[in-house]
Amino acid sequence: MTQSPLTVPLRAIWNALYWTHERATWQYDVMVIAILAFVWLTPPDWLRDPTASGSGPIGWLIHFFR
Amino acid sequence: MTFTGLIGAICMFPLRAIIAVCVRFRIHPNVLTFIGVLINFAAAWALALGRFVLAGVVMVVANIFDFIDGKVARELEMESPFGGFWDSVMDRFSDISLFIGLIYLYSSLRRTDYVMIAALAMMFAILTSYTRARAESLVEKCKVGFMERPERIVLFMIGAFTNRMGAVLWVILILSILTVADRIYFTWRELNARNAKPRMA
Repeated sequence: MTQSPLTVPLRAIWNALYWTHERATWQYDVMVIAILAFVWLTPPDWLRDPTASGSGPIGWLIHFFR
Repeated sequence: MTFTGLIGAICMFPLRAIIAVCVRFRIHPNVLTFIGVLINFAAAWALALGRFVLAGVVMVVANIFDFIDGKVARELEMESPFGGFWDSVMDRFSDISLFIGLIYLYSSLRRTDYVMIAALAMMFAILTSYTRARAESLVEKCKVGFMERPERIVLFMIGAFTNRMGAVLWVILILSILTVADRIYFTWRELNARNAKPRMA
């Protein structure tokens, strides 16, 4: 039986949502990197952060390439 | 070795020395747990005042106590069912106090949106531990979902030290909702599978 080309990405999304992996696995590392990227790269202004301001690294890059 | 595993191994070096000191002086693990909660209250106070770096430093100290209590109990052969119960109850005090600190801060800044985000994150953080505790009274183990207490604490520290508490609260909220949903689904599936077996036999 041939697998649909959507099977792999859908399975990856399902595995990220329904989390069954242990700590100190490569899946855990990928999740940690994704979280840190969101926390540090998202401009605080986009989230209307009450205690931080500025456009953050993504904003600097957008500004740089404009 | 994964990079999170490596960070854990590096952090264990100073912690081993602290554990050895506590074992040498035979400090009762329940006392260590209680001291950790008291220090966490101080961290919550610093968060409420918007002094994030101070809060981060205090959280590091508080969580050293929180981390070593179980290890000291094992070394001193003082492990007990009450110790486990006391530890989980004190953990909830610590968790909730940090969220209350942030709720106080955002309400003093008149930011109702972040008061709600912090309150919802607190609700799902409590439900994360509740669903596991309740599930494990029905099924053997319920350890699914990403956002458990250690992840939450490290995120709080990252948010405090780098002044990205807004983003951290969003992450805690969304991943805690998913964790609660994972645990409900897992328990439902396990119980269904268990009920299906006798019928098939």
